[in-house]
Amino acid sequence: MRFEDIEIGDELPAEQPDVRVERVREFAKTAGMLTGRFVDHQKAREQGLPGAILPGIMSQALLAAVIHRWAPGCAIQQIDTVFRAPILVDSHPTTRGVVTSTDAGAQTVDVDLTIENEAGETRVIGTAVVRLD
Amino acid sequence: MILDLHTHSIKSDDGRARVETYCGWIRKRELQIEGFVLTEHRQFDDESDYRPLEHEFGLRILKGSEVETDYGHVLVFGVNDRMRAAFDFADIDLPLGLVLEEAKRCGGVAVPCHPGRPRVGMCAHFAERGAVDGVRVIETRNGGSRNGEDAAALALAEKFGYRGIGGSDAHLVSQIGRCATRFEGAIRNEDDLVRAIRSGKFEAIRWT
Repeated sequence: MRFEDIEIGDELPAEQPDVRVERVREFAKTAGMLTGRFVDHQKAREQGLPGAILPGIMSQALLAAVIHRWAPGCAIQQIDTVFRAPILVDSHPTTRGVVTSTDAGAQTVDVDLTIENEAGETRVIGTAVVRLD
Repeated sequence: MILDLHTHSIKSDDGRARVETYCGWIRKRELQIEGFVLTEHRQFDDESDYRPLEHEFGLRILKGSEVETDYGHVLVFGVNDRMRAAFDFADIDLPLGLVLEEAKRCGGVAVPCHPGRPRVGMCAHFAERGAVDGVRVIETRNGGSRNGEDAAALALAEKFGYRGIGGSDAHLVSQIGRCATRFEGAIRNEDDLVRAIRSGKFEAIRWT
């Protein structure tokens, strides 16, 4: 993917990331966040949650992965997320992105990012500034 | 004239859209809206001057606010110094009756938004504590609504005879224009907007 190939409105390929508990446990262990609310549905419910939830940084990592798969070799200069509602472990979320502006001088594009749950509800929103050569 | 009456920019704590990028997106994507109202959370932005962007993009950019009441969130239009002195926009538990009354007294209008949404919408509060006098218009089309939320708003509007507006509730650039409000005449400024909303001559629209 080159900067010249990109236009406002271009959609990044949507993905259905693997958020099964085994995968989340692997991530949480690596990130030093191996606590019940992320990897144990029962313990999460005891804390008042509807079930185990994805760590925020894992949601952000999933969105960063969408960008890198869309444009291998790009540089994410900035990424920012707003957690409006939790993503449940063992659910089937969808990650999406769309280009909202381009800056030819800086060779960067702005991308809107979202994670939706199975009901199509937007749970996480974000933006990124991505540099492409 | 078609305006998106409910948008947030980076001035809102959870907004991630720059106003200039909204404008570019609207034109590039050839959206049908002819402008939008910035309704930043718990504040009124009296610093930003969007007139250069209005001229550059040929769009109407107006300002309002989204305040928080004991019956959920409420859009206020026609904000002026009198209204800002009448209640604290940053208060997260304003009495709905006060906001409705003071907005009207100060020459504006208050519109409960996303009423079908749990906790921050008016429907559940009405069910628990009864209706509040003074509501004339509610947001019946909200771009961020989840399943059933707009239906609940429409049912409430029908039950109480409220008129309904539409707004995207955009927090990202790509979310603007999902819902809007079609007015009969031109809206040149916030005063025109208040008059048009008070007239009841408008229609809520949803595109997606």
